[in-house]
Amino acid sequence: MSVKTQIVPIFLTAVSFSIIYLALQLDLSPPMIVGDSMQPRSFPIFLMVLNLILTGALALQFYRNPPKDQEPILRITWLTMALMVLFYALTVSIDMFVGISVVMFLMSLIWGQRSILIAAANAIITPFLVFLLFDIVLRIRFPRGLITNWYYG
Amino acid sequence: MLEAVTALGSVFFDPYLLFLIFATTIIGIVIGVLPGLGATTGAALLLPFTLTMEPVHAIAVLATIYVAATFAGSITAILINTPGTSAAAATTFDGFPLAQRGEAGRALGVAVMSSTFGGVASVIVLCFAAPLLARVAYEFRPPEYFALTIFGLSMLASISAGGAIKNLMGGVFGVWLSTIGAERVTAIERFMFGNYELYEGLGFVPVMIGLFAMSELLVQSKVANNAVEFVKMKAVQLPSREDYKKIWKTVLRSSGIGTFIGILPAEGATVASMIGYSEAKRWSKNKEEFGKGSIEGIAGAESANNAATGGAMVPTMVLGIPGSGTTAIILVGLMVHGLRPGPYLFTEQVNSVYQIFGSMLAANIMFLLMGLYAAKIFARISLVPINLLWPIVFALSVIGAYALNSSLLDVWIALIFGVIGFFARRFGFAVAPIAVGLILGKMVEVNLQNSLKMFNGEWWLIFTQPLAVFFLILAFLGLCGPQIFAMYKNSRKS
Repeated sequence: MSVKTQIVPIFLTAVSFSIIYLALQLDLSPPMIVGDSMQPRSFPIFLMVLNLILTGALALQFYRNPPKDQEPILRITWLTMALMVLFYALTVSIDMFVGISVVMFLMSLIWGQRSILIAAANAIITPFLVFLLFDIVLRIRFPRGLITNWYYG
Repeated sequence: MLEAVTALGSVFFDPYLLFLIFATTIIGIVIGVLPGLGATTGAALLLPFTLTMEPVHAIAVLATIYVAATFAGSITAILINTPGTSAAAATTFDGFPLAQRGEAGRALGVAVMSSTFGGVASVIVLCFAAPLLARVAYEFRPPEYFALTIFGLSMLASISAGGAIKNLMGGVFGVWLSTIGAERVTAIERFMFGNYELYEGLGFVPVMIGLFAMSELLVQSKVANNAVEFVKMKAVQLPSREDYKKIWKTVLRSSGIGTFIGILPAEGATVASMIGYSEAKRWSKNKEEFGKGSIEGIAGAESANNAATGGAMVPTMVLGIPGSGTTAIILVGLMVHGLRPGPYLFTEQVNSVYQIFGSMLAANIMFLLMGLYAAKIFARISLVPINLLWPIVFALSVIGAYALNSSLLDVWIALIFGVIGFFARRFGFAVAPIAVGLILGKMVEVNLQNSLKMFNGEWWLIFTQPLAVFFLILAFLGLCGPQIFAMYKNSRKS
């Protein structure tokens, strides 16, 4: 039995124990309030114990039938995840719509769009139309930023 | 009864609602033909757009997306051998071979007619079964509801993807997610890490958008440069008299199977279509044609998957237990719009309920017309480059996640759950159980707490309630039934 085949059960066991530890840090409620019911920590702990039992069953399953080796995650997928981080950075520092446009543009190119013009048009027109739809029809105000400050005044 | 029939019929005399259903059917078919999107992702993306609508209109939009996208998956399944939705996977077995033989129009005609029949039949069952079930559900008290939610969660074990253990783990994780926020009775903060925006718990909408839309985006990045083979066709043909003679029994049987499977909590159109297909093969006189272009195969899969849409609405509306991933989102829609799912919906909001049922009926008729006359055009949409399509999905997802509470935290939650969903799927865990667990989680905990209060802390008294015991036995059979059946079969063989 290699650690590689049991990586998922090991990870899930660690998560379950972490949640049990966090649940044990929760305050205890006075018996007068809880009454015949249960403490707020009891239910999450019960769930994680159940999860540990299921993880044990999964480990046994993997021991009997080792899972197939996974193909490595493609570069394009890592880059797409990195774009999500870039979106976060741009949204909190500049503007949500700048973040959306930049990410859309880069995502199109990373995913294989050859025409920069088409990728740019998609990245500008789509957020603009969606913004108008949500602002005018659904009357939703977006977070303040470079563009929204200019628009909202 | 008269009130219900009037409300159902009123849909067909409400031009605005009809227009909404018409427009949404088009959107639903477009979503259905785009590989990777599907009814669940489509409903998750459209939910924020319904926020300012009347409750009935909003749910009608979501239900129409469900019905139309489930059907539309068959268009690409037949023409490009790529099921637009997982529910259309069984349609590829015979649809594409038939299309390769130059009979794509005939295959689509059979798919459209079978889907419509399955959909309409299931809505009729829904109209009669839902109020009956609601009458039974009036008697439910906390122990019965607790046992029912346990039954709903146990059914996750048999969802097609993943495997029983992984699905149950997904469900347990989803239930744990529902404990984030202030505890209902004591107001003690659980797993909030000082973030007061989480006081009322994780928002359903951002989690759904993350699990379904964002994770699918990451999954689709793998196939960004794949080319598809598109089969040419002239026009959609209505099935001939011989075709009808060949498929009518299959359509009837699969519609019944689909509706029944849809009604089971946590089962959905994908399971229904697979069983509908295999039963069509089992009962067919022409078994050798299956897999090579059998119209019975197409009819079996398509009538079952669309019948499951009506069936899945029964537990969703009557018990508040979603019958599939998409109905989980419709359930969120009901709650967001102040329609409390449960038996009281059928006494307090009869008109709304039957208008929603009427909308599903109208949607089935609309996709019949569009399927017959515009399938060829819709099929072309599937050729939109995914390097333009998925960036649009990204934009709609982040704005949709933000829209409900105007909260940037919801956007980050959607992104985080997108990554969680991607890795879960990579390791063979389906994301639908997490969504169902999150929705049922509050119900489980609240009803357990109330049951404990009811029995002065003596939890074992739950087993003295006949209905609760009935649901717990069903849950046990749902979990252990397949193993017991396999052991019984093995012992008989030996």
